[in-house]
Amino acid sequence: MIRRLILALLVLAATASPAAAHRLKLFATIEDGRIAGYAFFIGGGRPEGAAIIIRGADGQELYRGATDAEGRFAWTPPAAGTFVVTADSRDGHVAEVRLGAERFTPPPSPAPDQAAMPATDTAAIEAAVDRAVARQIRPLLETYDEAEGRLRFNDIMGGIGMIIGLAGAALWATSRRRKGADS
Amino acid sequence: MAHIPDGVLSLPVTVAGWAGAVAMTGLALRHMKEEAIPGTAVLAAVFFTVSLVAVPVGPSSVHLLLSGLMGLMIGPATVLAVLVGLALQALMFGFGGFTTLGVNLVDIALPGVVVGALLAGPVRRTSPTRAGVIAGLGAGACVLATGGGVALALALSSPDYVPSAKVLLVTYLPLMAAEGLITGFAVSFLKRVKPDALAGASP
Repeated sequence: MIRRLILALLVLAATASPAAAHRLKLFATIEDGRIAGYAFFIGGGRPEGAAIIIRGADGQELYRGATDAEGRFAWTPPAAGTFVVTADSRDGHVAEVRLGAERFTPPPSPAPDQAAMPATDTAAIEAAVDRAVARQIRPLLETYDEAEGRLRFNDIMGGIGMIIGLAGAALWATSRRRKGADS
Repeated sequence: MAHIPDGVLSLPVTVAGWAGAVAMTGLALRHMKEEAIPGTAVLAAVFFTVSLVAVPVGPSSVHLLLSGLMGLMIGPATVLAVLVGLALQALMFGFGGFTTLGVNLVDIALPGVVVGALLAGPVRRTSPTRAGVIAGLGAGACVLATGGGVALALALSSPDYVPSAKVLLVTYLPLMAAEGLITGFAVSFLKRVKPDALAGASP
Protein backbone atom coordinates (compact mmCIF):
# COMPACT_ATOMS: atom_id res chain seq x y z
CA MET A 1 0.00 0.00 0.00
CA ILE A 2 2.75 2.43 0.95
CA ARG A 3 4.55 1.30 -2.13
CA ARG A 4 1.49 2.08 -4.19
CA LEU A 5 1.19 5.50 -2.56
CA ILE A 6 4.79 6.36 -3.30
CA LEU A 7 4.36 5.11 -6.84
CA ALA A 8 1.30 7.33 -7.23
CA LEU A 9 3.28 10.28 -5.92
CA LEU A 10 6.11 9.58 -8.35
CA VAL A 11 3.74 9.29 -11.30
CA LEU A 12 2.08 12.54 -10.26
CA ALA A 13 5.47 14.16 -9.94
CA ALA A 14 6.68 12.91 -13.31
CA THR A 15 3.59 14.04 -15.20
CA ALA A 16 3.08 17.43 -13.58
CA SER A 17 5.23 20.07 -15.17
CA PRO A 18 7.15 21.79 -12.40
CA ALA A 19 7.45 25.55 -12.34
CA ALA A 20 10.15 26.73 -14.69
CA ALA A 21 12.30 27.87 -11.82
CA HIS A 22 15.69 26.61 -10.79
CA ARG A 23 17.68 27.36 -7.75
CA LEU A 24 20.06 29.50 -9.72
CA LYS A 25 18.31 31.91 -12.02
CA LEU A 26 19.53 34.20 -14.71
CA PHE A 27 18.15 37.55 -15.78
CA ALA A 28 19.33 38.91 -19.12
CA THR A 29 18.18 41.71 -21.36
CA ILE A 30 19.44 43.36 -24.49
CA GLU A 31 19.84 47.09 -24.42
CA ASP A 32 21.41 48.95 -27.32
CA GLY A 33 22.79 45.73 -28.73
CA ARG A 34 24.49 44.83 -25.44
CA ILE A 35 23.62 41.69 -23.49
CA ALA A 36 23.51 42.50 -19.79
CA GLY A 37 21.98 40.98 -16.73
CA TYR A 38 22.70 39.11 -13.54
CA ALA A 39 22.45 35.71 -11.94
CA PHE A 40 20.60 35.26 -8.68
CA PHE A 41 19.59 32.54 -6.29
CA ILE A 42 15.97 31.97 -5.46
CA GLY A 43 15.55 32.94 -1.85
CA GLY A 44 18.25 35.58 -2.01
CA GLY A 45 21.89 36.05 -2.83
CA ARG A 46 23.86 36.81 -5.99
CA PRO A 47 26.71 34.52 -7.04
CA GLU A 48 30.09 36.19 -7.22
CA GLY A 49 32.55 34.75 -9.72
CA ALA A 50 30.10 32.32 -11.33
CA ALA A 51 31.00 31.44 -14.91
CA ILE A 52 28.98 33.12 -17.65
CA ILE A 53 29.10 31.42 -21.02
CA ILE A 54 27.41 32.89 -24.07
CA ARG A 55 26.90 30.68 -27.08
CA GLY A 56 25.58 31.47 -30.52
CA ALA A 57 22.63 29.75 -32.17
CA ASP A 58 24.97 27.05 -33.50
CA GLY A 59 26.23 26.24 -30.00
CA GLN A 60 29.64 27.77 -30.55
CA GLU A 61 31.09 29.45 -27.50
CA LEU A 62 31.46 33.19 -28.08
CA TYR A 63 32.16 34.58 -24.64
CA ARG A 64 33.28 33.24 -21.28
CA GLY A 65 33.47 35.44 -18.23
CA ALA A 66 32.59 35.66 -14.59
CA THR A 67 30.00 37.58 -12.64
CA ASP A 68 31.07 40.51 -10.49
CA ALA A 69 30.41 41.00 -6.78
CA GLU A 70 26.74 41.64 -7.50
CA GLY A 71 26.29 38.74 -9.86
CA ARG A 72 26.25 41.01 -12.92
CA PHE A 73 27.70 40.47 -16.36
CA ALA A 74 27.64 42.29 -19.69
CA TRP A 75 28.87 41.55 -23.19
CA THR A 76 28.42 43.25 -26.51
CA PRO A 77 28.01 40.78 -29.37
CA PRO A 78 29.57 41.72 -32.71
CA ALA A 79 26.19 41.45 -34.45
CA ALA A 80 22.56 40.80 -33.64
CA GLY A 81 21.56 37.15 -33.50
CA THR A 82 20.29 34.39 -31.27
CA PHE A 83 22.34 33.84 -28.12
CA VAL A 84 22.14 31.39 -25.25
CA VAL A 85 23.47 32.69 -21.95
CA THR A 86 24.47 30.10 -19.36
CA ALA A 87 25.42 30.78 -15.75
CA ASP A 88 27.32 28.03 -13.93
CA SER A 89 28.30 28.32 -10.29
CA ARG A 90 30.81 25.48 -10.84
CA ASP A 91 29.17 23.14 -8.37
CA GLY A 92 26.07 21.94 -10.16
CA HIS A 93 23.93 25.06 -10.26
CA VAL A 94 23.26 25.95 -13.85
CA ALA A 95 20.81 28.42 -15.34
CA GLU A 96 20.17 29.23 -18.97
CA VAL A 97 18.41 32.02 -20.84
CA ARG A 98 17.80 32.16 -24.57
CA LEU A 99 17.75 35.54 -26.26
CA GLY A 100 16.22 35.53 -29.71
CA ALA A 101 17.44 37.71 -32.56
CA GLU A 102 14.10 39.54 -32.54
CA ARG A 103 14.97 41.11 -29.21
CA PHE A 104 17.73 43.16 -30.72
CA THR A 105 16.70 46.65 -31.66
CA PRO A 106 18.21 48.11 -34.79
CA PRO A 107 21.43 50.02 -34.02
CA PRO A 108 20.76 53.63 -33.05
CA SER A 109 21.11 55.86 -36.08
CA PRO A 110 23.07 59.10 -35.84
CA ALA A 111 21.11 62.07 -34.54
CA PRO A 112 18.86 63.31 -37.32
CA ASP A 113 19.74 66.76 -38.59
CA GLN A 114 17.20 69.31 -39.72
CA ALA A 115 17.42 68.36 -43.40
CA ALA A 116 17.01 64.64 -42.83
CA MET A 117 14.68 62.62 -44.98
CA PRO A 118 11.40 61.53 -43.34
CA ALA A 119 12.48 57.85 -43.65
CA THR A 120 15.57 58.28 -41.43
CA ASP A 121 13.44 60.32 -39.06
CA THR A 122 11.10 57.36 -38.65
CA ALA A 123 14.01 54.98 -38.03
CA ALA A 124 15.46 57.28 -35.39
CA ILE A 125 12.12 57.62 -33.66
CA GLU A 126 11.63 53.85 -33.74
CA ALA A 127 15.05 53.28 -32.17
CA ALA A 128 14.38 55.89 -29.49
CA VAL A 129 11.00 54.36 -28.69
CA ASP A 130 12.57 50.89 -28.51
CA ARG A 131 15.18 52.12 -26.04
CA ALA A 132 12.61 53.94 -23.94
CA VAL A 133 10.34 50.90 -23.81
CA ALA A 134 13.24 48.63 -22.93
CA ARG A 135 14.21 50.96 -20.10
CA GLN A 136 10.65 51.15 -18.81
CA ILE A 137 9.84 47.44 -18.86
CA ARG A 138 13.16 46.31 -17.40
CA PRO A 139 12.01 46.65 -13.77
CA LEU A 140 8.85 44.79 -14.74
CA LEU A 141 10.82 41.90 -16.24
CA GLU A 142 13.09 41.79 -13.20
CA THR A 143 10.13 41.69 -10.83
CA TYR A 144 8.50 38.98 -12.90
CA ASP A 145 11.60 36.77 -12.88
CA GLU A 146 11.97 37.22 -9.16
CA ALA A 147 8.31 36.57 -8.40
CA GLU A 148 8.34 33.40 -10.47
CA GLY A 149 11.02 31.89 -8.27
CA ARG A 150 9.96 33.19 -4.90
CA LEU A 151 9.56 30.85 -1.98
CA ARG A 152 6.05 31.38 -0.83
CA PHE A 153 5.02 30.67 2.72
CA ASN A 154 1.79 29.10 1.45
CA ASP A 155 3.73 26.65 -0.72
CA ILE A 156 5.97 25.64 2.16
CA MET A 157 2.99 25.09 4.42
CA GLY A 158 1.31 23.15 1.62
CA GLY A 159 4.35 20.90 1.35
CA ILE A 160 4.36 20.23 5.08
CA GLY A 161 0.64 19.50 4.92
CA MET A 162 1.26 17.01 2.13
CA ILE A 163 3.92 15.26 4.23
CA ILE A 164 1.50 15.01 7.15
CA GLY A 165 -1.13 13.64 4.79
CA LEU A 166 1.31 11.03 3.44
CA ALA A 167 2.20 9.95 6.97
CA GLY A 168 -1.49 9.69 7.83
CA ALA A 169 -2.17 7.62 4.73
CA ALA A 170 0.77 5.34 5.51
CA LEU A 171 -0.43 4.85 9.09
CA TRP A 172 -3.96 4.14 7.90
CA ALA A 173 -2.60 1.62 5.39
CA THR A 174 -0.49 -0.23 7.95
CA SER A 175 -3.29 -0.28 10.52
CA ARG A 176 -5.67 -1.68 7.91
CA ARG A 177 -3.18 -4.34 6.98
CA ARG A 178 -2.70 -5.29 10.62
CA LYS A 179 -6.46 -5.47 11.18
CA GLY A 180 -6.69 -7.72 8.15
CA ALA A 181 -3.99 -9.98 9.61
CA ASP A 182 -5.69 -10.08 13.04
CA SER A 183 -9.11 -11.14 11.81
CA MET B 1 24.61 22.26 -4.40
CA ALA B 2 22.87 18.99 -3.74
CA HIS B 3 19.94 19.81 -6.03
CA ILE B 4 21.30 19.09 -9.48
CA PRO B 5 18.87 20.60 -11.99
CA ASP B 6 17.45 18.91 -15.09
CA GLY B 7 19.48 18.94 -18.25
CA VAL B 8 22.90 18.82 -16.63
CA LEU B 9 23.49 15.11 -16.15
CA SER B 10 24.08 12.65 -18.97
CA LEU B 11 21.71 9.75 -19.58
CA PRO B 12 23.86 6.92 -18.08
CA VAL B 13 24.40 8.90 -14.87
CA THR B 14 20.67 9.68 -14.66
CA VAL B 15 19.71 6.04 -15.19
CA ALA B 16 22.28 4.82 -12.66
CA GLY B 17 20.98 7.35 -10.15
CA TRP B 18 17.40 6.21 -10.64
CA ALA B 19 18.41 2.55 -10.33
CA GLY B 20 20.17 3.27 -7.05
CA ALA B 21 17.25 5.36 -5.81
CA VAL B 22 14.68 2.67 -6.63
CA ALA B 23 16.77 -0.02 -4.91
CA MET B 24 17.27 2.13 -1.81
CA THR B 25 13.58 3.08 -1.65
CA GLY B 26 12.55 -0.57 -1.95
CA LEU B 27 14.88 -1.61 0.86
CA ALA B 28 13.74 1.28 3.05
CA LEU B 29 10.07 0.41 2.52
CA ARG B 30 10.72 -3.21 3.44
CA HIS B 31 12.35 -2.18 6.72
CA MET B 32 9.77 0.47 7.53
CA LYS B 33 8.07 -0.12 10.86
CA GLU B 34 4.69 1.32 11.66
CA GLU B 35 5.90 3.19 14.73
CA ALA B 36 8.62 4.87 12.68
CA ILE B 37 6.17 6.56 10.30
CA PRO B 38 5.41 9.72 12.35
CA GLY B 39 9.10 10.31 13.07
CA THR B 40 9.97 9.86 9.43
CA ALA B 41 7.27 12.34 8.44
CA VAL B 42 8.51 14.91 10.95
CA LEU B 43 12.06 14.61 9.67
CA ALA B 44 10.84 14.78 6.07
CA ALA B 45 9.13 18.07 6.93
CA VAL B 46 12.30 19.31 8.64
CA PHE B 47 14.43 18.36 5.64
CA PHE B 48 11.92 19.92 3.24
CA THR B 49 11.94 23.29 5.01
CA VAL B 50 15.54 23.46 6.20
CA SER B 51 17.02 22.79 2.78
CA LEU B 52 14.95 25.62 1.30
CA VAL B 53 16.89 28.17 3.33
CA ALA B 54 20.05 28.80 1.37
CA VAL B 55 22.91 31.05 2.40
CA PRO B 56 24.95 32.62 -0.42
CA VAL B 57 28.65 31.72 -0.28
CA GLY B 58 30.89 33.07 -3.04
CA PRO B 59 29.69 31.90 -6.45
CA SER B 60 27.22 29.47 -4.96
CA SER B 61 24.82 29.05 -2.09
CA VAL B 62 24.55 26.34 0.51
CA HIS B 63 21.86 24.97 2.76
CA LEU B 64 21.67 22.41 5.54
CA LEU B 65 20.91 18.78 4.72
CA LEU B 66 20.79 17.14 8.17
CA SER B 67 21.26 13.73 6.55
CA GLY B 68 23.56 12.59 9.38
CA LEU B 69 20.95 13.45 11.99
CA MET B 70 18.25 11.68 9.98
CA GLY B 71 20.44 8.59 9.59
CA LEU B 72 20.95 8.37 13.35
CA MET B 73 17.30 9.00 14.21
CA ILE B 74 15.40 6.95 11.65
CA GLY B 75 18.04 4.81 9.92
CA PRO B 76 17.06 3.48 6.49
CA ALA B 77 13.81 5.46 6.54
CA THR B 78 16.02 8.49 5.80
CA VAL B 79 15.65 7.49 2.14
CA LEU B 80 11.87 7.95 2.32
CA ALA B 81 12.09 11.27 4.16
CA VAL B 82 14.59 12.65 1.61
CA LEU B 83 12.59 11.26 -1.31
CA VAL B 84 9.41 12.99 -0.19
CA GLY B 85 11.25 16.23 0.60
CA LEU B 86 13.06 16.31 -2.76
CA ALA B 87 9.94 15.42 -4.75
CA LEU B 88 7.96 18.21 -3.10
CA GLN B 89 10.77 20.74 -3.58
CA ALA B 90 11.04 19.87 -7.26
CA LEU B 91 7.27 19.97 -7.69
CA MET B 92 6.62 23.24 -5.87
CA PHE B 93 9.76 25.29 -6.35
CA GLY B 94 11.57 23.73 -9.29
CA PHE B 95 14.55 22.98 -7.06
CA GLY B 96 16.49 20.13 -8.55
CA GLY B 97 14.48 18.24 -11.13
CA PHE B 98 12.67 15.01 -11.77
CA THR B 99 15.15 13.39 -14.11
CA THR B 100 17.86 14.10 -11.53
CA LEU B 101 15.76 13.06 -8.52
CA GLY B 102 17.44 9.65 -8.45
CA VAL B 103 20.98 11.01 -8.38
CA ASN B 104 20.06 13.66 -5.81
CA LEU B 105 18.37 11.08 -3.59
CA VAL B 106 21.40 8.78 -3.65
CA ASP B 107 23.78 11.71 -3.04
CA ILE B 108 21.89 12.96 0.01
CA ALA B 109 20.33 9.89 1.60
CA LEU B 110 22.99 7.21 1.15
CA PRO B 111 25.67 8.94 3.29
CA GLY B 112 23.06 9.52 6.00
CA VAL B 113 22.00 5.87 6.07
CA VAL B 114 25.61 4.62 6.07
CA VAL B 115 26.70 7.01 8.82
CA GLY B 116 23.59 6.17 10.84
CA ALA B 117 24.30 2.45 10.60
CA LEU B 118 27.99 2.86 11.47
CA LEU B 119 27.56 5.26 14.38
CA ALA B 120 24.38 3.93 15.97
CA GLY B 121 26.37 1.58 18.22
CA PRO B 122 29.01 4.05 19.46
CA VAL B 123 26.39 6.77 19.99
CA ARG B 124 24.23 4.40 22.04
CA ARG B 125 27.09 3.31 24.29
CA THR B 126 28.83 6.59 25.22
CA SER B 127 27.93 9.64 27.27
CA PRO B 128 25.73 12.37 25.73
CA THR B 129 28.63 14.76 25.22
CA ARG B 130 30.78 12.18 23.50
CA ALA B 131 27.81 10.98 21.45
CA GLY B 132 27.35 14.57 20.26
CA VAL B 133 30.98 14.80 19.16
CA ILE B 134 30.79 11.48 17.31
CA ALA B 135 27.52 12.44 15.62
CA GLY B 136 28.92 15.86 14.65
CA LEU B 137 31.93 14.26 12.97
CA GLY B 138 29.62 11.80 11.24
CA ALA B 139 27.41 14.62 9.96
CA GLY B 140 30.51 16.37 8.57
CA ALA B 141 31.46 13.16 6.79
CA CYS B 142 27.94 12.99 5.33
CA VAL B 143 28.29 16.45 3.83
CA LEU B 144 31.67 15.49 2.41
CA ALA B 145 30.23 12.33 0.87
CA THR B 146 27.29 14.27 -0.60
CA GLY B 147 29.68 16.81 -2.09
CA GLY B 148 31.82 14.01 -3.50
CA GLY B 149 28.78 12.33 -4.99
CA VAL B 150 27.56 15.53 -6.63
CA ALA B 151 31.03 16.26 -8.01
CA LEU B 152 31.33 12.71 -9.35
CA ALA B 153 27.91 12.83 -11.02
CA LEU B 154 28.76 16.15 -12.67
CA ALA B 155 32.26 15.11 -13.74
CA LEU B 156 30.99 11.84 -15.24
CA SER B 157 28.27 13.68 -17.17
CA SER B 158 30.02 16.40 -19.06
CA PRO B 159 33.36 18.18 -19.06
CA ASP B 160 31.36 21.42 -19.23
CA TYR B 161 30.12 21.09 -15.70
CA VAL B 162 33.16 19.68 -13.91
CA PRO B 163 32.95 21.47 -10.56
CA SER B 164 35.88 23.54 -9.52
CA ALA B 165 37.66 22.24 -6.45
CA LYS B 166 37.98 25.76 -5.10
CA VAL B 167 34.23 26.38 -5.15
CA LEU B 168 33.56 23.04 -3.51
CA LEU B 169 36.07 23.75 -0.74
CA VAL B 170 34.74 27.25 -0.13
CA THR B 171 31.15 26.09 0.04
CA TYR B 172 31.42 22.69 1.70
CA LEU B 173 33.82 23.45 4.56
CA PRO B 174 31.50 25.97 6.30
CA LEU B 175 28.57 23.66 5.63
CA MET B 176 30.42 20.72 7.21
CA ALA B 177 31.12 22.81 10.29
CA ALA B 178 27.51 24.00 10.56
CA GLU B 179 26.06 20.52 10.04
CA GLY B 180 28.48 19.03 12.51
CA LEU B 181 27.63 21.59 15.18
CA ILE B 182 23.86 21.35 14.74
CA THR B 183 23.82 17.56 14.55
CA GLY B 184 26.20 17.30 17.51
CA PHE B 185 24.06 19.49 19.74
CA ALA B 186 20.84 17.80 18.60
CA VAL B 187 22.19 14.32 19.25
CA SER B 188 23.64 15.12 22.68
CA PHE B 189 20.36 16.79 23.62
CA LEU B 190 18.30 13.82 22.40
CA LYS B 191 20.65 11.42 24.16
CA ARG B 192 20.01 13.22 27.45
CA VAL B 193 16.27 13.75 27.04
CA LYS B 194 14.97 10.95 24.85
CA PRO B 195 17.56 8.30 23.98
CA ASP B 196 14.87 6.25 22.21
CA ALA B 197 14.79 8.83 19.43
CA LEU B 198 18.26 7.73 18.35
CA ALA B 199 17.37 4.06 18.08
CA GLY B 200 16.15 4.16 14.49
CA ALA B 201 19.35 2.90 12.94
CA SER B 202 19.81 -0.03 15.30
CA PRO B 203 18.09 -3.26 14.27
